[in-house]
Amino acid sequence: MSDAILSFDDVTVQFGGVRACDSISGRVERGSLFALIGPNGAGKTTLVNAISGVYKPLPGAKVQFHPAGEPAEDLLAYRPFQIARLGVARTFQNLGLFMGENVLTNLLLGRYIHEHTRLMQGGLFTRGAVKRELAARQAIERVVDLLDLGAFRRDSVGDLPYGVQKRIEFGRVLAMEPELLMLDEPMAGMSVDEKQDMIRYIYAAQDELNMTVFLIEHDMSVVMSIADHVMVLDFGQKIAEGTPAEMQQDERVIAAYLGTEMAEN
Amino acid sequence: MTATENPPTQQTAQTYRPSTLQRFLPFAIAAVVPFILGSTTGDVNFWWKALITVVVLAVVARLAWKWTPRGELTHREDMRLWRTPSDRSWAALTTFGLLVLPFILASDFTPPMGFPWATWFAVVNLVLIFAMGAAAFNLLVGYSGQISLAHVAFLALGSIVGGIVGVQWSGGNMWLALPAAAVAGAVVGAISGLPALRLKHLYLLLATFGFHFVMMLVWREYLQEYFGFVGIRFKGENSPRIASWLHWLPGIDPDQNGEFVITGQFRWYWVLMPITVLSILFMVNVVRTREGRAFAAVRDRDVSASLLGINVARSKLFAFALSSAIVSMSGVLASFYIGSRGEDSFNVQTVLNYAIIIVVGGFSSIQGAIFGSAFFWFLPEWFKWAREELWFVRDIDFLSDYPSEIDLAIKGFLVVIILMFKPDGLAGMWRDFKNWLGRTLARSNP
Repeated sequence: MSDAILSFDDVTVQFGGVRACDSISGRVERGSLFALIGPNGAGKTTLVNAISGVYKPLPGAKVQFHPAGEPAEDLLAYRPFQIARLGVARTFQNLGLFMGENVLTNLLLGRYIHEHTRLMQGGLFTRGAVKRELAARQAIERVVDLLDLGAFRRDSVGDLPYGVQKRIEFGRVLAMEPELLMLDEPMAGMSVDEKQDMIRYIYAAQDELNMTVFLIEHDMSVVMSIADHVMVLDFGQKIAEGTPAEMQQDERVIAAYLGTEMAEN
Repeated sequence: MTATENPPTQQTAQTYRPSTLQRFLPFAIAAVVPFILGSTTGDVNFWWKALITVVVLAVVARLAWKWTPRGELTHREDMRLWRTPSDRSWAALTTFGLLVLPFILASDFTPPMGFPWATWFAVVNLVLIFAMGAAAFNLLVGYSGQISLAHVAFLALGSIVGGIVGVQWSGGNMWLALPAAAVAGAVVGAISGLPALRLKHLYLLLATFGFHFVMMLVWREYLQEYFGFVGIRFKGENSPRIASWLHWLPGIDPDQNGEFVITGQFRWYWVLMPITVLSILFMVNVVRTREGRAFAAVRDRDVSASLLGINVARSKLFAFALSSAIVSMSGVLASFYIGSRGEDSFNVQTVLNYAIIIVVGGFSSIQGAIFGSAFFWFLPEWFKWAREELWFVRDIDFLSDYPSEIDLAIKGFLVVIILMFKPDGLAGMWRDFKNWLGRTLARSNP
């Protein structure tokens, strides 16, 4: 059994009287592709928000992150920006891009945690600042090559098509070089071709860049073909967990999720 | 380190790489010629000078255009402030213009139709001071998205520091007051930014406006404690001087007392212009490097910014501190340049003036602050001229009865027009003009 990069226990998030996540536990193996699925409103995004520090879960929850070769960290003790610096990056379902800025700026923001140019050094544009800026651009260039974003470098993000925007956001988290990559529905609203490309990019992140991928996805067919491990949520409860093949056989999953979809087909 | 190339922007993959000499020569010419022109006062007719200026201008722009790398840019070239031929030409022209301007303004030229000339130098100097303050204000409000009305408080803080350090302690040492004001501005600015950690938009605006009134109170108390109702005198014996160990510099001839007092528009220009240019360059550099990108990220989506590893609170306080430090410095400059500051030097109208400047100039554009303050100071001049000289305006009594009210009305009306039809302001119009010019040149010269 390999080691876990992320383990969470008893994560409960409550909004007023609604339990968006009800004591959910799980572990993500290092280097694997972990998929979190469930129908609309199942609490998938809420769980990711709780892990990445945007929401505070109720007391009793435990979220442990194990960076490679370093002691485990309790993520609940950190603020979101500190969690990002530990090596947990995430994307947003409805895009967390800065629409008025160009693609280059958006991608360079992914290097914020790596190239430490101070305000004064930046303002004086010192030799060190130039060096780090160049280093950031070199790092960006690898992402740009991987994701075929070369044609858009200076375009304003808001003017680009949705599929490209999704790719840019993915590129930005890749530029952060995280150990754990959390993708919130990276394929929502994409065409079939774009989905194929995105799957290829996710594989590349996992295999070539050695990142662990935590994927939230709606599209069952995608999940079944790429995930190593699947967790299914419904109404804030974990209803099943296992390999994709097991999930396809699981009655609760079929009832909660696949059942309706299969009935339609 | 191997430079990664950008893919070619045009079909032609050929790259042109000018030598270092070629890259800097246009700027060198632009820098030297004004002084040659300036040293020939008296003998040469104004129109001859103007002709030479225009010719040199054209040559400089052309060389800067020609000697700019094109085709595929390396990242190092792509990072330059002036990337394209057109950027570099405008930069060379601006350098040239800034250097030649004082010599033109100092000449006793009389434009036709009694167009005001004598007051222009004062207006240009005020534009420089205001451009610096407004650019810093725009960095905070437009670029970092922290809606603040406290900038006039920092002009007052600049005057206070100028009064304490520059007048009371050192008897007219502006050079000491400037860094002191920067430090004081940064510290007080960060404190005034604390509400921004909890408040946004309108609520932040009100909180910072409260800070404005607190600072006004401090200003009034300080004045009455040490200076009484006459206010602080930054003129005369308190005028800034160039230290005697710098008198060897060219162009500095001490007077009979062996002092070089900065007085008169021409000398002030050479103090204000470099400080303004350097501080604006500083802000431009901040905006295009790591922390500046973080400012924009925090403005657009703070949750998303924090998940990129940006400490949102720290970033906001940095924006406040940087902006306030520069506004305070411009406050010191304004105090010493204008020469006296009293109780009514700062009021709510001043706050609105800065708001007008950045809205008309262009929100979230540092360039816009320059255009905005030029507009702000030249409009009343032109309006005054029109009222006095233009035959079809001269006879309208209504206009000459309420000059300042009509000034304000025009400014207010223009703010509305610009917000409705051109939200990126004069800076946006300037960009459109440059694009149009580029297209036209490309068509006529394929």
